[in-house]
Amino acid sequence: MRDVPIISMDKICKKFPLAVGGEQQVLFDVSFDVMQGEFVSIMGPSGSGKSTCMNIIGALDSATSGVYKLYGKDISTMEPDELATIRNEYIGFVFQNFNLLPKRNMLDNVMLPLMYRGWVMADRIQRAKEMLKLVDLENFETYFPTQLSGGMKQRVAIARALSGNPKLILADEPTGALDSKIGNEILRFFKKLNKEMGITIVMITHEFEITQYANRVIHIYDGRVTYDGKIPANESVLIKSEQRNKK
Amino acid sequence: MTIIDILKESWLSISGNKLRSFLTVLGIIIGVMAVVIMVAVGETVQKSITDQFSSLGTNTIVIRAGAARSGGIRTGNKRTLTITDAEQIRKLPDVFSVTPAQSGSAQVIYGNKNWSTMMLGTYPDYTEIQDIEMEYGNFFDINAIKNASTYAVIGPDTARELGLPDNPVGQIIRIQNMPFVVIGVMKARGDSAFGSQDDMVIIPITTLKKRLQGSPFPDSVTMIALKIYQDSDNAVVTDQISSLLRQRHKLKDGDEDDFQITDMKQIMETMDTVTGYLKLLLIAIAAVSLLVGSIGIMNMMLVSVVERTREIGVRKAVGARERVIIIQFLSESVLISFIGSMIGLILGVGLSQGVGRFILHYDVPFSIWPVILSVTVAVVVGLSSGVMPAIKAAKLNPIDSLRYE
Repeated sequence: MRDVPIISMDKICKKFPLAVGGEQQVLFDVSFDVMQGEFVSIMGPSGSGKSTCMNIIGALDSATSGVYKLYGKDISTMEPDELATIRNEYIGFVFQNFNLLPKRNMLDNVMLPLMYRGWVMADRIQRAKEMLKLVDLENFETYFPTQLSGGMKQRVAIARALSGNPKLILADEPTGALDSKIGNEILRFFKKLNKEMGITIVMITHEFEITQYANRVIHIYDGRVTYDGKIPANESVLIKSEQRNKK
Repeated sequence: MTIIDILKESWLSISGNKLRSFLTVLGIIIGVMAVVIMVAVGETVQKSITDQFSSLGTNTIVIRAGAARSGGIRTGNKRTLTITDAEQIRKLPDVFSVTPAQSGSAQVIYGNKNWSTMMLGTYPDYTEIQDIEMEYGNFFDINAIKNASTYAVIGPDTARELGLPDNPVGQIIRIQNMPFVVIGVMKARGDSAFGSQDDMVIIPITTLKKRLQGSPFPDSVTMIALKIYQDSDNAVVTDQISSLLRQRHKLKDGDEDDFQITDMKQIMETMDTVTGYLKLLLIAIAAVSLLVGSIGIMNMMLVSVVERTREIGVRKAVGARERVIIIQFLSESVLISFIGSMIGLILGVGLSQGVGRFILHYDVPFSIWPVILSVTVAVVVGLSSGVMPAIKAAKLNPIDSLRYE
C-alpha cells in the first residue's frame, strides 16, 4: 500500500480581503503532495504566494477553498484550538528571524512546545537538553537570546522545532538573517536531519542556491505552481516555467 | 500546562519589566493600603465610641432632669428629679440598683495643693452601676448617706494632683473648706459617660445637698442612674419608668415629659449604625484609589499584549491554545494584583497598628475584613482588569503576530 502523504494540497485557493474593498487572490489551485522523508524547497520571488502557502501548510492559516490534508487529516475546516494542537503535534517551525522568546533562556525556549503538550517538567528538561546537544549548544542552556549569535539562535530554534518530535519541519527562509557561511551550516544541518533522522523538511526560500540542499523544488509564481520536480541544474528552468505560466 | 508553569510564566513576564510592574503593583498597594487603613480608622472610631458607652453597660439607663427647651435648644435643667423618685424606681421589679446623682465642680485642697475637679454626690449603688473597683480603701455605705458623712472617694488622678500619699486612705482633704476623710481611691479607668472617673471626687449625695450646697431643695437631683437585670427588656423598663415619673410628677396627658430617659443600649445601637455608615464612607473613598490601581493593571496588560504580540504568535505557532493564552495573561494580572494586595494588606495593617499603638497609644482593633477584602480585591481586580487584554491576546492572528515588528 502506498504511504499516505504528510502534506496533501488539493486545489488550494487563498483570497485576502482588501482594505479598500473587494479581495485579492494570492493562491490559485495549488496542488502537490509531500511524502515522508522528503526535503522540499518551496521557491518563488517576493509576493509569489509562497509564504501564504507555508502558512496554510503550517496550519497557521486556512485556505479559502480546496482541501489540505496533513498526515491524512483534513485540517481545512478545523477550529483555531484544533489547529494549535495540530501544530504542536505535527509541525516544528523554524523562522527567518528565529522568534525565540527574549526573556527566556535557551532551555525554556526549547521546552516551550513540550509545555503546551503537557509533558512533566523532568521529561521536558531531559528532552530539551538532548535537543540542545543535538545542535551542539549543550553548554548554553542558561543563555538568553541576546547573548547568542544569529547562527546559534537559529540552532536553538531548530532544537525547539525538533523538541516535540514533529513529523514535519517547516522552515521559512531559515538563512535569511544569517551570513552565507553560517547559513550554509544551518542548511547542512537540515540536510543531516533529513538524511540521518528521516525528518520531512519543507523550506521556503527565494534563493535558487538554497534549493540545492533539498531533493525537490516547488516553484510558485503569481500564486500558481509553475514547477514541481527535481532540483534543476540551472535557475533558468524555473524562470522559463514562470514565463510559460505568464502565457 | 500546569499551575506551576502558569505561575512561572507569569512571574517571568512580570519580572521582565521590573520598573513598570513595580509601578503597577504600587497602584494596587496604595489602593489596598488605603482601604485597610480606612477600615481600621472606621473600626477604631466604632470601638472607641462603643467602649465609651459600654463602660456604663447596655443594661444601664440614665434619667436626667427634664431639659427646658426653647425652639429645640437646651437652655438649662429643671429641678424635676428627686431622691424619692429614685427610691420609687428602685421598687420596679426589673431594676437591679439605682442611684440619684448630682454633679458639680469643686475646689479641693490638701495641704498647700489646690485642685479644681468634678464632684459627684451619689448612693453606694453607684459602684454597681459603674462597676467601680477600688485601689485603696472602700466606697461609702448607706450609713454615710443617712448620716451625711463627710467621706470622700477620689479618683487616682485627683490623688496625684493633690499630692496625696500613695495610700491616702484616712487623709483629710478640704472641699469648699469643709474637711472630708478620704476613705477610698478608685482604680484608674479612663473616660466614661459620666466624665473622667480618674479625676473626680465622689461624696454621699446627702452630704453634697445638705452640707456643701445647703440647697433649698435637698431632695432634688440632676440625674438618676440605674442598672436593670441583664435579661430585662430596656424598652419595657423605660416605659415603666416613664409612666412612674409622669404619675409622680403629676403630668397630664399631652404634657411633655419633664425628664429625659437615656437608654444606653439604644444609644449604642444608634451609634453603631452611624459609625457603620462612616466606615462604609471611608472605605468607599479609599476604594477610588483601588479603582485607579486596577485601571493601571489593565493599562499595563494592554501595553504588554501589544509589546508581546510576536511572543504570542510564537506561542501559538508552537501549540498554545487560545484558552492557554487567556489563562496566562489573566494569571499575570491576578499575580500583579495579588502581590499588590498582599503588600498593601501588610503595610496597611502594619501602619494602622503601628500608628495606633506607638503614636496614638490606642489599641486599633484587628479585623479579618481587610484580609478577606484584599484577597477578594486581588482576584476580582486581577481578573476584571486582565480579561480584556487576555482575550485580545488570545484572538490575535498567529500570522500577523509573527510578522509584528
